Amino acid sequence: MRPRFFLAEAVRSIRSNMALALAATVTVLIAIFVLGAFIPSFLYVQSAVDRQKEKIDVSVYISDSAEVDQVNALQAQISGLEEQGVVREFTYVSKDDALAAMRERLDDPTILEELPSNPFPASFEVKLTDPENADEVIVAVEEQPALDPDEGIGFAGDTADRLLSVAQFIQWSGLALILILTVAAVLLIGNTIRLSIFARRREVEVMKLVGATNWFIRWPFVIEGIICGLVGALLSVGLLLAVKLAVVDRLVDDASSQLTEEQTTSIGFVTLAVILLAAGAALGALGSGLTLRRFLRV
Amino acid sequence: MSTDAPPESTTQRRADTGSARRARDSQNGQSKRESRQNQLRPGDGPMVVFDDVTKQYGSDAVAIRDLSLSIESGEFVFLVGPSGSGKSTFIKLLIKEVSPSKGGLWVGGRDLNRMRRSKVPYLRRAIGCVFQDYKLLTSRTVFENVAYALQVTGESPSSIRRKVPEMLSLVGLSEKGSRYPGELSGGEQQRVSIARAFVNQPRLLIADEPTGNLDPETSIGIMQLLYRINRTGTTVIMATHDRELVDKMQMRVIELGDGVLVRDARNARYGRPQRAVPTGDEAGSAEDAS
Ligand SMILES: Nc1ncnc2c1ncn2[C@@H]1O[C@H](COP(=O)(O)OP(=O)(O)OP(=O)(O)O)[C@@H](O)[C@H]1O
Ligand SMILES: [Mg+2]
Repeated sequence: MRPRFFLAEAVRSIRSNMALALAATVTVLIAIFVLGAFIPSFLYVQSAVDRQKEKIDVSVYISDSAEVDQVNALQAQISGLEEQGVVREFTYVSKDDALAAMRERLDDPTILEELPSNPFPASFEVKLTDPENADEVIVAVEEQPALDPDEGIGFAGDTADRLLSVAQFIQWSGLALILILTVAAVLLIGNTIRLSIFARRREVEVMKLVGATNWFIRWPFVIEGIICGLVGALLSVGLLLAVKLAVVDRLVDDASSQLTEEQTTSIGFVTLAVILLAAGAALGALGSGLTLRRFLRV
Repeated sequence: MSTDAPPESTTQRRADTGSARRARDSQNGQSKRESRQNQLRPGDGPMVVFDDVTKQYGSDAVAIRDLSLSIESGEFVFLVGPSGSGKSTFIKLLIKEVSPSKGGLWVGGRDLNRMRRSKVPYLRRAIGCVFQDYKLLTSRTVFENVAYALQVTGESPSSIRRKVPEMLSLVGLSEKGSRYPGELSGGEQQRVSIARAFVNQPRLLIADEPTGNLDPETSIGIMQLLYRINRTGTTVIMATHDRELVDKMQMRVIELGDGVLVRDARNARYGRPQRAVPTGDEAGSAEDAS
Protein backbone atom coordinates (compact mmCIF):
# COMPACT_ATOMS: atom_id res chain seq x y z
CA MET A 1 0.00 0.00 0.00
CA ARG A 2 2.72 2.46 0.95
CA PRO A 3 4.91 1.97 -2.18
CA ARG A 4 1.89 2.50 -4.38
CA PHE A 5 1.01 5.67 -2.47
CA PHE A 6 4.54 7.05 -2.81
CA LEU A 7 4.64 6.17 -6.50
CA ALA A 8 1.34 7.96 -7.02
CA GLU A 9 2.71 10.96 -5.11
CA ALA A 10 5.85 10.96 -7.29
CA VAL A 11 3.78 10.86 -10.48
CA ARG A 12 1.60 13.68 -9.15
CA SER A 13 4.70 15.71 -8.40
CA ILE A 14 6.17 15.13 -11.86
CA ARG A 15 2.90 16.11 -13.50
CA SER A 16 2.57 19.29 -11.51
CA ASN A 17 6.19 20.22 -12.25
CA MET A 18 6.59 18.96 -15.80
CA ALA A 19 9.20 21.54 -16.81
CA LEU A 20 11.50 20.75 -13.91
CA ALA A 21 11.12 17.00 -14.34
CA LEU A 22 12.01 17.46 -17.98
CA ALA A 23 15.09 19.50 -17.08
CA ALA A 24 16.27 16.78 -14.68
CA THR A 25 15.63 14.12 -17.31
CA VAL A 26 17.62 15.98 -19.94
CA THR A 27 20.47 16.46 -17.47
CA VAL A 28 20.59 12.73 -16.84
CA LEU A 29 20.31 12.09 -20.57
CA ILE A 30 23.41 14.17 -21.29
CA ALA A 31 25.45 12.83 -18.39
CA ILE A 32 24.59 9.22 -19.16
CA PHE A 33 25.20 9.72 -22.87
CA VAL A 34 28.70 11.02 -22.22
CA LEU A 35 29.31 8.23 -19.73
CA GLY A 36 27.93 5.67 -22.19
CA ALA A 37 30.17 6.95 -24.98
CA PHE A 38 33.15 7.13 -22.68
CA ILE A 39 33.04 3.68 -21.05
CA PRO A 40 33.46 1.63 -24.26
CA SER A 41 36.07 4.06 -25.64
CA PHE A 42 37.99 3.84 -22.41
CA LEU A 43 37.86 0.05 -22.40
CA TYR A 44 38.85 -0.03 -26.08
CA VAL A 45 41.94 2.10 -25.48
CA GLN A 46 42.71 0.08 -22.38
CA SER A 47 42.63 -3.21 -24.27
CA ALA A 48 44.65 -1.72 -27.16
CA VAL A 49 47.30 -0.61 -24.68
CA ASP A 50 47.32 -4.05 -23.09
CA ARG A 51 47.87 -5.61 -26.52
CA GLN A 52 50.77 -3.26 -27.18
CA LYS A 53 52.24 -4.05 -23.81
CA GLU A 54 52.23 -7.74 -24.67
CA LYS A 55 54.15 -6.96 -27.80
CA ILE A 56 57.06 -5.41 -25.98
CA ASP A 57 59.55 -8.22 -26.31
CA VAL A 58 63.24 -8.39 -25.75
CA SER A 59 65.25 -9.95 -28.57
CA VAL A 60 68.56 -11.41 -27.40
CA TYR A 61 70.66 -11.83 -30.55
CA ILE A 62 73.22 -14.60 -30.69
CA SER A 63 76.58 -14.12 -32.31
CA ASP A 64 77.17 -16.33 -35.36
CA SER A 65 80.49 -17.32 -33.83
CA ALA A 66 79.08 -18.33 -30.45
CA GLU A 67 80.03 -21.77 -29.11
CA VAL A 68 77.26 -24.24 -28.34
CA ASP A 69 77.94 -24.19 -24.59
CA GLN A 70 77.95 -20.39 -24.62
CA VAL A 71 74.50 -20.47 -26.20
CA ASN A 72 73.44 -23.06 -23.61
CA ALA A 73 74.67 -20.80 -20.82
CA LEU A 74 72.66 -17.93 -22.25
CA GLN A 75 69.60 -20.15 -22.46
CA ALA A 76 70.13 -21.30 -18.88
CA GLN A 77 70.32 -17.65 -17.78
CA ILE A 78 66.98 -16.81 -19.45
CA SER A 79 65.41 -20.02 -18.07
CA GLY A 80 66.44 -18.83 -14.64
CA LEU A 81 64.63 -15.55 -15.24
CA GLU A 82 61.58 -17.48 -16.38
CA GLU A 83 61.59 -19.47 -13.16
CA GLN A 84 61.82 -16.23 -11.16
CA GLY A 85 58.73 -15.03 -12.98
CA VAL A 86 60.45 -12.13 -14.70
CA VAL A 87 60.03 -13.74 -18.11
CA ARG A 88 56.75 -15.19 -19.27
CA GLU A 89 58.11 -17.33 -22.07
CA PHE A 90 60.90 -17.36 -24.60
CA THR A 91 61.56 -19.08 -27.89
CA TYR A 92 64.68 -19.83 -29.87
CA VAL A 93 64.67 -18.38 -33.40
CA SER A 94 67.33 -19.87 -35.63
CA LYS A 95 69.06 -17.99 -38.45
CA ASP A 96 66.84 -19.79 -40.95
CA ASP A 97 63.70 -18.92 -39.01
CA ALA A 98 64.78 -15.29 -38.93
CA LEU A 99 65.35 -15.27 -42.68
CA ALA A 100 62.01 -16.93 -43.28
CA ALA A 101 60.28 -14.39 -41.02
CA MET A 102 61.90 -11.55 -42.93
CA ARG A 103 60.86 -13.08 -46.22
CA GLU A 104 57.28 -13.15 -44.96
CA ARG A 105 57.38 -9.53 -43.97
CA LEU A 106 58.76 -8.10 -47.19
CA ASP A 107 56.56 -7.15 -50.09
CA ASP A 108 59.22 -8.17 -52.55
CA PRO A 109 61.15 -11.11 -51.05
CA THR A 110 63.28 -11.51 -54.17
CA ILE A 111 65.79 -8.97 -52.89
CA LEU A 112 66.74 -11.51 -50.23
CA GLU A 113 67.80 -13.95 -52.95
CA GLU A 114 70.58 -11.59 -53.90
CA LEU A 115 72.22 -11.82 -50.48
CA PRO A 116 75.46 -13.79 -50.47
CA SER A 117 74.70 -15.33 -47.07
CA ASN A 118 72.04 -15.22 -44.37
CA PRO A 119 72.71 -11.92 -42.50
CA PHE A 120 70.12 -12.43 -39.79
CA PRO A 121 71.39 -13.61 -36.42
CA ALA A 122 69.73 -16.34 -34.41
CA SER A 123 68.02 -15.07 -31.28
CA PHE A 124 66.02 -15.78 -28.15
CA GLU A 125 62.72 -13.95 -28.38
CA VAL A 126 61.82 -13.19 -24.79
CA LYS A 127 58.30 -12.29 -23.73
CA LEU A 128 58.08 -10.44 -20.43
CA THR A 129 55.54 -10.89 -17.66
CA ASP A 130 55.59 -7.12 -17.28
CA PRO A 131 57.17 -4.56 -19.62
CA GLU A 132 58.85 -2.99 -16.61
CA ASN A 133 61.02 -6.11 -16.26
CA ALA A 134 62.95 -5.31 -19.45
CA ASP A 135 65.87 -3.71 -17.60
CA GLU A 136 66.30 -6.76 -15.40
CA VAL A 137 66.54 -9.05 -18.44
CA ILE A 138 68.96 -6.73 -20.19
CA VAL A 139 71.27 -6.49 -17.18
CA ALA A 140 71.20 -10.28 -16.71
CA VAL A 141 72.21 -11.23 -20.27
CA GLU A 142 74.44 -8.25 -21.11
CA GLU A 143 77.69 -9.95 -20.10
CA GLN A 144 76.98 -13.27 -21.82
CA PRO A 145 79.71 -14.17 -24.35
CA ALA A 146 77.13 -15.65 -26.75
CA LEU A 147 75.65 -12.20 -27.31
CA ASP A 148 76.00 -10.82 -30.85
CA PRO A 149 78.48 -7.92 -30.51
CA ASP A 150 76.77 -5.87 -33.23
CA GLU A 151 73.10 -6.51 -32.68
CA GLY A 152 73.27 -7.07 -28.91
CA ILE A 153 69.88 -6.82 -27.30
CA GLY A 154 66.87 -5.59 -29.21
CA PHE A 155 64.40 -3.70 -27.10
CA ALA A 156 62.26 -0.75 -28.00
CA GLY A 157 63.06 0.96 -24.70
CA ASP A 158 61.90 4.49 -25.46
CA THR A 159 58.77 3.36 -27.24
CA ALA A 160 57.92 1.06 -24.38
CA ASP A 161 58.41 3.77 -21.76
CA ARG A 162 56.31 6.18 -23.71
CA LEU A 163 53.58 3.60 -24.23
CA LEU A 164 53.53 2.83 -20.54
CA SER A 165 53.21 6.46 -19.52
CA VAL A 166 50.49 7.01 -22.12
CA ALA A 167 48.62 4.01 -20.78
CA GLN A 168 48.90 5.33 -17.24
CA PHE A 169 47.81 8.79 -18.33
CA ILE A 170 44.78 7.38 -20.10
CA GLN A 171 43.84 5.33 -17.04
CA TRP A 172 44.08 8.20 -14.60
CA SER A 173 42.52 10.88 -16.74
CA GLY A 174 39.74 8.46 -17.63
CA LEU A 175 38.99 7.80 -13.99
CA ALA A 176 39.15 11.51 -13.21
CA LEU A 177 36.76 12.27 -16.06
CA ILE A 178 34.27 9.66 -14.89
CA LEU A 179 34.46 11.07 -11.37
CA ILE A 180 33.95 14.64 -12.55
CA LEU A 181 31.04 13.59 -14.74
CA THR A 182 29.35 11.74 -11.91
CA VAL A 183 29.73 14.64 -9.50
CA ALA A 184 28.51 17.11 -12.12
CA ALA A 185 25.46 14.98 -12.87
CA VAL A 186 24.60 14.57 -9.18
CA LEU A 187 24.94 18.31 -8.63
CA LEU A 188 22.85 19.15 -11.67
CA ILE A 189 20.08 16.77 -10.70
CA GLY A 190 20.31 17.97 -7.12
CA ASN A 191 19.92 21.51 -8.36
CA THR A 192 16.90 20.61 -10.44
CA ILE A 193 15.27 18.78 -7.55
CA ARG A 194 16.12 21.70 -5.31
CA LEU A 195 14.26 24.03 -7.63
CA SER A 196 11.36 21.63 -7.57
CA ILE A 197 11.37 21.52 -3.78
CA PHE A 198 11.86 25.26 -3.60
CA ALA A 199 8.75 25.64 -5.72
CA ARG A 200 6.96 23.43 -3.19
CA ARG A 201 8.65 24.68 -0.04
CA ARG A 202 5.41 25.88 1.43
CA GLU A 203 3.76 22.55 0.67
CA VAL A 204 6.59 20.67 2.37
CA GLU A 205 6.27 22.98 5.38
CA VAL A 206 2.53 22.30 5.59
CA MET A 207 3.09 18.55 5.27
CA LYS A 208 5.48 18.70 8.20
CA LEU A 209 3.00 20.73 10.24
CA VAL A 210 0.30 18.12 9.83
CA GLY A 211 2.63 15.38 11.04
CA ALA A 212 4.41 13.96 7.98
CA THR A 213 7.76 12.39 8.83
CA ASN A 214 10.80 13.32 6.80
CA TRP A 215 10.75 10.00 4.97
CA PHE A 216 7.07 10.37 4.18
CA ILE A 217 7.95 13.59 2.35
CA ARG A 218 11.25 12.32 1.00
CA TRP A 219 10.14 9.08 -0.68
CA PRO A 220 8.03 10.70 -3.41
CA PHE A 221 10.91 13.03 -4.27
CA VAL A 222 13.42 10.16 -4.33
CA ILE A 223 11.10 8.13 -6.55
CA GLU A 224 10.63 11.18 -8.73
CA GLY A 225 14.43 11.40 -9.04
CA ILE A 226 14.66 7.70 -9.90
CA ILE A 227 11.95 8.03 -12.55
CA CYS A 228 13.68 11.04 -14.13
CA GLY A 229 17.01 9.19 -13.93
CA LEU A 230 15.63 6.04 -15.53
CA VAL A 231 13.83 7.87 -18.31
CA GLY A 232 16.91 9.98 -19.04
CA ALA A 233 19.12 6.89 -19.06
CA LEU A 234 16.68 5.03 -21.28
CA LEU A 235 16.66 7.87 -23.80
CA SER A 236 20.45 8.09 -23.84
CA VAL A 237 20.75 4.31 -24.25
CA GLY A 238 18.50 4.64 -27.30
CA LEU A 239 20.64 7.47 -28.59
CA LEU A 240 23.82 5.47 -27.99
CA LEU A 241 22.34 2.49 -29.80
CA ALA A 242 21.55 4.70 -32.79
CA VAL A 243 25.09 6.10 -32.80
CA LYS A 244 26.53 2.62 -32.46
CA LEU A 245 24.53 1.23 -35.38
CA ALA A 246 25.01 4.25 -37.63
CA VAL A 247 28.63 5.14 -36.97
CA VAL A 248 30.69 2.86 -34.77
CA ASP A 249 29.72 -0.51 -36.22
CA ARG A 250 30.45 0.72 -39.75
CA LEU A 251 33.85 2.02 -38.68
CA VAL A 252 34.68 -1.21 -36.91
CA ASP A 253 33.72 -3.19 -40.03
CA ASP A 254 36.11 -1.11 -42.09
CA ALA A 255 38.83 -1.26 -39.51
CA SER A 256 38.63 -4.97 -38.80
CA SER A 257 39.24 -5.80 -42.48
CA GLN A 258 42.61 -4.12 -42.10
CA LEU A 259 43.56 -5.11 -38.60
CA THR A 260 42.48 -8.72 -38.52
CA GLU A 261 44.72 -9.81 -35.68
CA GLU A 262 44.22 -6.62 -33.64
CA GLN A 263 41.01 -7.92 -32.07
CA THR A 264 40.45 -5.50 -29.25
CA THR A 265 37.75 -6.21 -26.78
CA SER A 266 35.31 -3.68 -25.34
CA ILE A 267 31.99 -4.07 -23.57
CA GLY A 268 28.77 -5.67 -24.79
CA PHE A 269 25.97 -3.23 -25.50
CA VAL A 270 23.45 -4.98 -23.27
CA THR A 271 25.84 -4.93 -20.32
CA LEU A 272 26.53 -1.27 -21.01
CA ALA A 273 22.80 -0.49 -21.20
CA VAL A 274 22.16 -2.21 -17.86
CA ILE A 275 25.04 -0.33 -16.23
CA LEU A 276 23.82 2.99 -17.64
CA LEU A 277 20.23 2.43 -16.51
CA ALA A 278 21.43 1.58 -13.02
CA ALA A 279 23.68 4.64 -13.08
CA GLY A 280 20.77 6.84 -14.19
CA ALA A 281 18.52 5.57 -11.41
CA ALA A 282 21.32 5.98 -8.87
CA LEU A 283 22.06 9.51 -10.05
CA GLY A 284 18.41 10.46 -9.73
CA ALA A 285 18.04 8.92 -6.27
CA LEU A 286 21.31 10.40 -5.04
CA GLY A 287 20.61 13.83 -6.50
CA SER A 288 17.23 14.12 -4.85
CA GLY A 289 18.24 12.32 -1.63
CA LEU A 290 21.24 14.55 -0.97
CA THR A 291 19.35 17.73 -1.75
CA LEU A 292 16.44 16.82 0.50
CA ARG A 293 18.71 16.34 3.49
CA ARG A 294 19.26 20.07 3.69
CA PHE A 295 15.66 21.00 2.96
CA LEU A 296 13.85 18.93 5.53
CA ARG A 297 15.42 20.56 8.56
CA VAL A 298 12.25 22.47 9.38
CA MET B 1 -5.73 -3.26 9.53
CA SER B 2 -9.45 -2.70 9.62
CA THR B 3 -9.82 -4.08 6.10
CA ASP B 4 -9.55 -7.69 7.31
CA ALA B 5 -12.52 -7.25 9.62
CA PRO B 6 -15.22 -9.87 8.94
CA PRO B 7 -18.09 -8.70 6.72
CA GLU B 8 -20.78 -8.86 9.39
CA SER B 9 -18.86 -6.43 11.55
CA THR B 10 -18.77 -4.02 8.61
CA THR B 11 -22.52 -4.09 8.23
CA GLN B 12 -22.91 -3.70 11.93
CA ARG B 13 -20.59 -0.74 11.83
CA ARG B 14 -22.69 0.91 9.14
CA ALA B 15 -25.65 0.74 11.43
CA ASP B 16 -23.75 2.43 14.23
CA THR B 17 -24.06 6.11 14.93
CA GLY B 18 -21.26 8.28 13.66
CA SER B 19 -19.63 9.18 16.92
CA ALA B 20 -19.67 5.66 18.32
CA ARG B 21 -18.19 4.41 15.09
CA ARG B 22 -15.43 6.98 15.23
CA ALA B 23 -14.63 6.16 18.80
CA ARG B 24 -14.30 2.47 18.03
CA ASP B 25 -12.34 3.05 14.82
CA SER B 26 -9.71 4.92 16.69
CA GLN B 27 -9.21 1.86 18.85
CA ASN B 28 -9.56 -0.92 16.28
CA GLY B 29 -8.57 0.83 13.11
CA GLN B 30 -4.89 1.17 13.91
CA SER B 31 -2.33 -1.16 15.38
CA LYS B 32 -1.72 -0.75 19.09
CA ARG B 33 1.76 0.66 18.58
CA GLU B 34 0.56 3.24 16.08
CA SER B 35 -2.31 4.39 18.16
CA ARG B 36 -0.05 4.81 21.15
CA GLN B 37 2.29 6.92 19.05
CA ASN B 38 -0.49 8.92 17.48
CA GLN B 39 -2.47 9.75 20.58
CA LEU B 40 -1.64 11.91 23.53
CA ARG B 41 -2.01 10.07 26.84
CA PRO B 42 -1.42 12.54 29.60
CA GLY B 43 -2.53 9.97 32.19
CA ASP B 44 -3.91 11.86 35.19
CA GLY B 45 -1.76 14.90 34.53
CA PRO B 46 -2.72 18.07 32.67
CA MET B 47 -2.86 18.16 28.87
CA VAL B 48 -0.79 21.32 28.57
CA VAL B 49 1.70 22.86 31.00
CA PHE B 50 3.59 26.11 30.44
CA ASP B 51 6.28 26.62 33.08
CA ASP B 52 7.71 30.13 32.95
CA VAL B 53 7.88 30.07 29.16
CA THR B 54 9.38 32.92 27.20
CA LYS B 55 9.46 32.97 23.41
CA GLN B 56 11.59 35.56 21.76
CA TYR B 57 11.91 35.97 17.99
CA GLY B 58 15.33 37.24 17.02
CA SER B 59 16.95 39.57 19.50
CA ASP B 60 14.14 41.99 20.35
CA ALA B 61 10.62 40.65 19.61
CA VAL B 62 9.32 38.92 22.72
CA ALA B 63 6.04 37.20 21.76
CA ILE B 64 5.45 35.29 25.02
CA ARG B 65 6.90 36.40 28.34
CA ASP B 66 7.24 34.33 31.53
CA LEU B 67 4.03 32.41 30.90
CA SER B 68 2.95 29.78 33.44
CA LEU B 69 -0.37 27.96 33.21
CA SER B 70 -1.85 24.55 32.83
CA ILE B 71 -4.80 23.17 30.90
CA GLU B 72 -6.47 20.00 32.13
CA SER B 73 -7.47 17.14 29.91
CA GLY B 74 -11.00 17.71 28.60
CA GLU B 75 -11.07 21.46 29.13
CA PHE B 76 -12.41 24.02 26.68
CA VAL B 77 -10.26 27.15 26.63
CA PHE B 78 -10.58 30.42 24.77
CA LEU B 79 -7.35 32.24 24.08
CA VAL B 80 -8.03 35.93 23.64
CA GLY B 81 -6.04 39.12 23.40
CA PRO B 82 -5.41 41.93 20.94
CA SER B 83 -3.62 41.37 17.66
CA GLY B 84 0.08 40.69 18.23
CA SER B 85 -0.43 39.64 21.84
CA GLY B 86 1.10 36.19 21.22
CA LYS B 87 -1.88 33.88 20.61
CA SER B 88 -0.49 32.30 17.47
CA THR B 89 2.91 31.96 19.10
CA PHE B 90 1.24 30.17 22.02
CA ILE B 91 -0.20 27.69 19.50
CA LYS B 92 3.03 27.34 17.51
CA LEU B 93 4.80 26.45 20.75
CA LEU B 94 2.31 23.62 21.37
CA ILE B 95 2.93 21.92 18.01
CA LYS B 96 6.64 22.66 18.27
CA GLU B 97 6.65 24.83 15.19
CA VAL B 98 8.74 27.09 17.40
CA SER B 99 10.56 26.22 20.63
CA PRO B 100 10.61 28.19 23.88
CA SER B 101 13.56 30.50 24.38
CA LYS B 102 13.25 29.78 28.08
CA GLY B 103 11.08 27.63 30.35
CA GLY B 104 9.45 24.21 30.30
CA LEU B 105 6.59 23.07 28.11
CA TRP B 106 4.66 19.77 28.34
CA VAL B 107 1.93 18.53 26.02
CA GLY B 108 0.12 15.31 26.86
CA GLY B 109 2.81 14.56 29.41
CA ARG B 110 5.59 14.94 26.86
CA ASP B 111 8.43 17.34 27.54
CA LEU B 112 8.72 19.33 24.31
CA ASN B 113 12.18 20.62 25.17
CA ARG B 114 13.49 17.09 25.39
CA MET B 115 11.55 15.76 22.42
CA ARG B 116 13.77 14.41 19.66
CA ARG B 117 13.29 15.94 16.23
CA SER B 118 12.20 12.58 14.85
CA LYS B 119 9.31 12.41 17.36
CA VAL B 120 7.83 15.77 16.42
CA PRO B 121 5.67 14.38 13.56
CA TYR B 122 3.94 12.05 16.06
CA LEU B 123 3.22 14.99 18.36
CA ARG B 124 1.69 16.92 15.47
CA ARG B 125 -0.50 13.99 14.41
CA ALA B 126 -1.78 13.71 17.95
CA ILE B 127 -2.77 17.38 17.95
CA GLY B 128 -5.40 18.64 15.55
CA CYS B 129 -4.50 22.14 14.53
CA VAL B 130 -6.57 24.68 12.61
CA PHE B 131 -4.13 27.29 11.38
CA GLN B 132 -4.91 30.97 11.22
CA ASP B 133 -3.76 31.01 7.57
CA TYR B 134 -5.34 27.56 6.89
CA LYS B 135 -2.10 26.06 5.54
CA LEU B 136 -3.80 23.99 2.87
CA LEU B 137 -1.89 22.12 0.18
CA THR B 138 -2.73 24.25 -2.84
CA SER B 139 -2.01 21.55 -5.42
CA ARG B 140 -4.43 19.12 -3.79
CA THR B 141 -8.18 18.99 -3.80
CA VAL B 142 -10.27 19.51 -0.68
CA PHE B 143 -10.70 15.75 -0.36
CA GLU B 144 -6.95 15.15 -0.76
CA ASN B 145 -6.11 17.82 1.78
CA VAL B 146 -8.22 16.15 4.44
CA ALA B 147 -7.00 12.72 3.35
CA TYR B 148 -3.38 13.81 3.74
CA ALA B 149 -3.72 14.02 7.53
CA LEU B 150 -4.83 10.38 7.49
CA GLN B 151 -2.23 9.28 4.96
CA VAL B 152 0.65 10.49 7.10
CA THR B 153 -0.51 8.15 9.85
CA GLY B 154 -0.60 5.19 7.45
CA GLU B 155 -4.38 4.91 7.41
CA SER B 156 -5.72 2.44 4.82
CA PRO B 157 -7.26 3.80 1.58
CA SER B 158 -10.61 2.20 2.42
CA SER B 159 -10.87 3.89 5.79
CA ILE B 160 -9.77 7.17 4.19
CA ARG B 161 -12.57 6.84 1.63
CA ARG B 162 -14.96 6.39 4.51
CA LYS B 163 -13.73 9.03 6.98
CA VAL B 164 -13.04 11.97 4.66
CA PRO B 165 -16.57 12.37 3.21
CA GLU B 166 -17.98 12.03 6.69
CA MET B 167 -15.72 14.84 7.87
CA LEU B 168 -16.52 17.01 4.86
CA SER B 169 -20.24 16.72 5.45
CA LEU B 170 -19.64 17.65 9.09
CA VAL B 171 -18.16 21.01 7.98
CA GLY B 172 -20.69 21.40 5.16
CA LEU B 173 -18.33 20.86 2.25
CA SER B 174 -19.70 17.59 0.85
CA GLU B 175 -20.27 19.15 -2.55
CA LYS B 176 -16.81 20.67 -2.85
CA GLY B 177 -14.48 17.70 -2.30
CA SER B 178 -12.95 17.92 -5.76
CA ARG B 179 -12.31 21.66 -5.70
CA TYR B 180 -8.84 23.11 -5.19
CA PRO B 181 -8.22 25.54 -2.32
CA GLY B 182 -7.75 28.37 -4.81
CA GLU B 183 -11.35 27.80 -5.95
CA LEU B 184 -12.80 28.24 -2.47
CA SER B 185 -13.84 31.24 -0.43
CA GLY B 186 -11.84 32.11 2.66
CA GLY B 187 -14.47 30.63 4.94
CA GLU B 188 -14.59 27.43 2.92
CA GLN B 189 -10.82 27.08 3.10
CA GLN B 190 -11.07 27.59 6.83
CA ARG B 191 -13.55 24.74 7.07
CA VAL B 192 -11.23 22.47 5.08
CA SER B 193 -8.53 23.26 7.61
CA ILE B 194 -10.98 22.39 10.38
CA ALA B 195 -11.93 19.12 8.70
CA ARG B 196 -8.27 18.18 8.36
CA ALA B 197 -7.62 18.96 12.02
CA PHE B 198 -10.61 16.88 13.22
CA VAL B 199 -10.29 13.88 10.96
CA ASN B 200 -7.72 12.08 13.13
CA GLN B 201 -9.89 12.48 16.24
CA PRO B 202 -7.08 14.08 18.22
CA ARG B 203 -7.21 14.27 22.00
CA LEU B 204 -6.06 17.87 21.80
CA LEU B 205 -7.56 20.25 19.30
CA ILE B 206 -6.12 23.71 18.76
CA ALA B 207 -7.83 26.26 16.58
CA ASP B 208 -6.32 29.62 15.68
CA GLU B 209 -9.28 31.87 14.89
CA PRO B 210 -11.32 29.11 13.24
CA THR B 211 -14.28 31.42 12.83
CA GLY B 212 -12.32 34.45 11.68
CA ASN B 213 -13.70 34.36 8.14
CA LEU B 214 -17.09 32.85 8.77
CA ASP B 215 -20.51 34.47 8.86
CA PRO B 216 -22.21 34.41 12.27
CA GLU B 217 -24.37 31.45 11.35
CA THR B 218 -21.52 29.24 10.16
CA SER B 219 -19.45 30.44 13.12
CA ILE B 220 -22.07 29.13 15.46
CA GLY B 221 -22.11 25.85 13.54
CA ILE B 222 -18.34 25.51 13.92
CA MET B 223 -18.59 26.50 17.54
CA GLN B 224 -21.21 23.81 18.17
CA LEU B 225 -18.98 21.31 16.42
CA LEU B 226 -16.04 22.25 18.65
CA TYR B 227 -18.27 22.02 21.67
CA ARG B 228 -19.54 18.56 20.69
CA ILE B 229 -15.99 17.39 20.17
CA ASN B 230 -15.06 18.80 23.55
CA ARG B 231 -17.92 16.88 25.15
CA THR B 232 -16.43 13.59 23.93
CA GLY B 233 -13.37 14.32 26.08
CA THR B 234 -11.19 16.20 23.64
CA THR B 235 -9.30 19.17 25.00
CA VAL B 236 -10.02 22.24 22.89
CA ILE B 237 -7.97 25.43 22.77
CA MET B 238 -9.38 28.16 20.58
CA ALA B 239 -7.80 31.53 19.85
CA THR B 240 -10.40 34.05 18.85
CA HIS B 241 -11.38 37.68 18.51
CA ASP B 242 -15.07 36.82 18.49
CA ARG B 243 -16.35 38.58 21.57
CA GLU B 244 -19.95 37.45 21.12
CA LEU B 245 -19.00 33.81 20.85
CA VAL B 246 -16.82 33.88 23.95
CA ASP B 247 -19.42 35.69 25.95
CA LYS B 248 -22.09 33.21 24.92
CA MET B 249 -20.07 30.10 25.72
CA GLN B 250 -18.96 31.06 29.23
CA MET B 251 -15.83 28.89 29.19
CA ARG B 252 -12.35 29.32 30.59
CA VAL B 253 -10.71 32.41 29.08
CA ILE B 254 -6.97 32.95 28.93
CA GLU B 255 -6.14 36.50 27.96
CA LEU B 256 -2.75 37.56 26.71
CA GLY B 257 -1.52 41.13 26.42
CA ASP B 258 1.88 41.79 24.86
CA GLY B 259 2.87 38.20 25.53
CA VAL B 260 2.00 38.35 29.20
CA LEU B 261 -0.85 36.48 30.89
CA VAL B 262 -3.26 39.21 31.95
CA ARG B 263 -6.24 37.06 32.86
CA ASP B 264 -7.12 33.42 33.36
CA ALA B 265 -10.74 33.01 34.37
CA ARG B 266 -13.32 30.24 34.32
CA ASN B 267 -16.86 30.70 33.02
CA ALA B 268 -15.72 34.07 31.79
CA ARG B 269 -16.53 36.62 29.15
CA TYR B 270 -14.33 38.07 26.40
CA GLY B 271 -13.51 41.39 28.04
CA ARG B 272 -12.40 42.12 31.56
CA PRO B 273 -15.36 42.22 33.91
CA GLN B 274 -16.45 45.71 34.84
CA ARG B 275 -15.21 46.87 38.20
CA ALA B 276 -18.78 47.66 39.11
CA VAL B 277 -19.72 44.01 38.66
CA PRO B 278 -17.25 41.94 40.65
CA THR B 279 -17.67 38.19 40.20
CA GLY B 280 -16.56 35.18 42.14
CA ASP B 281 -14.79 33.98 39.05
CA GLU B 282 -12.11 36.58 39.38
CA ALA B 283 -11.04 35.20 42.76
CA GLY B 284 -10.97 31.67 41.34
CA SER B 285 -8.92 32.74 38.37
CA ALA B 286 -6.15 34.11 40.53
CA GLU B 287 -5.64 30.61 41.90
CA ASP B 288 -5.74 29.13 38.38
CA ALA B 289 -2.95 31.33 37.24
CA SER B 290 -0.54 30.39 40.00
N1 LIG C 1 8.54 34.79 12.99
C1 LIG C 1 8.50 35.91 13.71
N2 LIG C 1 9.58 36.71 13.75
C2 LIG C 1 9.57 37.85 14.48
N3 LIG C 1 8.53 38.26 15.19
C3 LIG C 1 7.41 37.52 15.19
C4 LIG C 1 7.34 36.30 14.43
N4 LIG C 1 6.12 35.75 14.63
C5 LIG C 1 5.46 36.58 15.43
N5 LIG C 1 6.23 37.65 15.78
C6 LIG C 1 5.85 38.73 16.68
O1 LIG C 1 5.42 38.18 17.88
C7 LIG C 1 4.29 38.87 18.40
C8 LIG C 1 3.14 37.91 18.64
O2 LIG C 1 2.70 37.41 17.38
P1 LIG C 1 1.50 36.39 17.26
O3 LIG C 1 1.40 35.97 15.84
O4 LIG C 1 1.68 35.34 18.28
O5 LIG C 1 0.24 37.32 17.62
P2 LIG C 1 -1.31 36.96 17.64
O6 LIG C 1 -1.78 37.16 19.03
O7 LIG C 1 -1.55 35.64 17.04
O8 LIG C 1 -1.89 38.09 16.71
P3 LIG C 1 -3.20 38.01 15.73
O9 LIG C 1 -4.38 38.13 16.61
O10 LIG C 1 -3.04 39.20 14.85
O11 LIG C 1 -3.10 36.72 14.98
C9 LIG C 1 3.96 39.94 17.37
O12 LIG C 1 4.47 41.17 17.85
C10 LIG C 1 4.67 39.52 16.13
O13 LIG C 1 5.11 40.65 15.42
MG1 LIG D 1 -2.48 34.95 15.36
